[in-house]
Amino acid sequence: MSEQSLVSDGPVLDKADPVLLAEGLEKRFGGLVATDDASIAVERGSITGLIGPNGAGKSTLFNLMSGFYEPDGGRVTVNGVDVTGKEPHEIADQGMIRTFQTPRKPEDMTVREALLVGPHDQTGESILPLFTSPSTVEREERRSLERAQEMLERFEIGDLATQPATDLSGGQMKLVELARGMMAEPDLLLLDEPVAGVNPVLADKLAGFIEELNEEGITFLIIEHDMSFIMRLADPIIVLNQGSVLVEGPPEAVRSDERVIDAYLGGPSE
Amino acid sequence: MGAFSAREKGVAGLLGGVGVLLLIGVVSGALAPAYLLYLVSLSAMYMLLSMGLNVQWGYGGLINFSVAAFFGLGAYGSALLTANSSPIAGNVSPVIALFGGLLLAAVLAVLIGYPTLKLRDDYLAIASLGLAEVVRIFILNENQWTAGSAGLTGIPLFFADWPVLGDLSYPYVFTVGGTAVFYMRQPVINGLLNLVLVAAFVVGVYLFLRRIHRSPWGRVLRTIKTDEDLAETLGKNTFAFKMQAFVIGSLIMALAGVFYTHLVLYVSPPDLQPITTFYVWVAVILGGTGSDRGAMLGGFTIVAIQQGTRFLNDAVQLPIGPAPLRLMLVGLLIILIVRLRPEGILPPERELIWPDAMRGERDE
Repeated sequence: MSEQSLVSDGPVLDKADPVLLAEGLEKRFGGLVATDDASIAVERGSITGLIGPNGAGKSTLFNLMSGFYEPDGGRVTVNGVDVTGKEPHEIADQGMIRTFQTPRKPEDMTVREALLVGPHDQTGESILPLFTSPSTVEREERRSLERAQEMLERFEIGDLATQPATDLSGGQMKLVELARGMMAEPDLLLLDEPVAGVNPVLADKLAGFIEELNEEGITFLIIEHDMSFIMRLADPIIVLNQGSVLVEGPPEAVRSDERVIDAYLGGPSE
Repeated sequence: MGAFSAREKGVAGLLGGVGVLLLIGVVSGALAPAYLLYLVSLSAMYMLLSMGLNVQWGYGGLINFSVAAFFGLGAYGSALLTANSSPIAGNVSPVIALFGGLLLAAVLAVLIGYPTLKLRDDYLAIASLGLAEVVRIFILNENQWTAGSAGLTGIPLFFADWPVLGDLSYPYVFTVGGTAVFYMRQPVINGLLNLVLVAAFVVGVYLFLRRIHRSPWGRVLRTIKTDEDLAETLGKNTFAFKMQAFVIGSLIMALAGVFYTHLVLYVSPPDLQPITTFYVWVAVILGGTGSDRGAMLGGFTIVAIQQGTRFLNDAVQLPIGPAPLRLMLVGLLIILIVRLRPEGILPPERELIWPDAMRGERDE
């Protein structure tokens, strides 16, 4: 009784201060319903886990919330601003940055250069100021370079700063992605399988870094199949099944929930 | 910094060699000075074209197959305004016409970019391929506006209405004590003026590009080139960046067109043949995609092959005509580059970071 009541049937949406609120998201690909009335809320300051069997609609949900898919129905709010149907870059501007399942390696770029793409609204991203106020561009660029170096050192890959990004291992690339996301000074980071294909030692480190960043005020929403990783890190955990939220609750309770076990084992969902 | 890489030294040596060869040609009388000036101006014009395409393809990965159309718009824009045979305007000052040609290209770039740049790369490629032919056939058929297949004649020199430079267009004789010691014919003077003009264009464009490339702006474009989604997730309005690169590149191509008009003083629809587009693509790829210096070197090489093959037939009797030989050489060059130096002869800057912000760091 006591454990069971901790797990909410469906999502918990009445959170005190949600950074991200998705309500009733729907997406169909032809006849296939990828998400059906999917709703989630991510409380500011939390590390929220998003799990579910393959094909449950986790990545679709990420794509809907970050603007890569246009929803057929529903609403997305980031920091109180309605971003439904907005372009990905407009949503990123609201303070939500995402990563991808397969790391994106910018060709021809060094690691620090890849990080320098992160900061928002750089003066030097417009052409005119490059000629009218080069000193501002220089000042910002110096600061970004310093921050990039700090960020890399924090993730213990400072020595890779001037390496070509394409030379990195999968695990190192995951760290670079996290660092690049941090350069954008987000409120919320959406991580899509941050430890897929990463060795256990590095995965452990990564979990430590995420906890540290969280303590400094960054909110996380993480999709992950590695159960020990996500159970250690996230609270609450949201379980997605067949395109909508099955349950939500603290990790221990979710792990032992009958409905979750059924969903993973492919048992009857009703 | 300061020191040059072995590759740069090699390129400089080769260019120096070509220069010496050309000088020998002039001194020995085999090459008319005016023609040499024309050749150098022509390669400078190709440098402009390749730098323009480099902004689009090299910086941002935009596949533009209508280089010839933007070149043609610059050429026709300027010609229609300045030529006394122009069916619409005519006799406008070339300096004003320059902006007319550029404006025309910019408008078309926005019109074609707006619907296609939101889509994936391939759509721009297809649309631009069509656009090039549409522009050429439009010019060929709309006689009442463009003079059609007859082309436009009666185009003034660029400096024709300038105070001092315009008066220079007659034979120049420098005399000491009544005897002529130095004599310059009119074509040579005009050739020199043209060369000064195009050199100013090339230097100006190069300095402009060097600054915008090694900047946060150039960096975002480089990100878009490899992964547009990534740039979007980092909050970059990729459509705006692509549009800027597309318009800037098209403007530089049109600038080359404007110059061409006042160089050859005659434009006609065959100037917009797709082969120009093809040559410019080869120039950018062999020079080093993404590198401004590489684009310039590529432009120069293309003209060297185009024009050099003409002389080859005079020197030795070849069993093959210059035109097919030219294409064969270009093909061979592409194969060699792709096999030996896939990144091009002068590859781009390794890092696009504002140079002043890296001062004080150890040089690499």
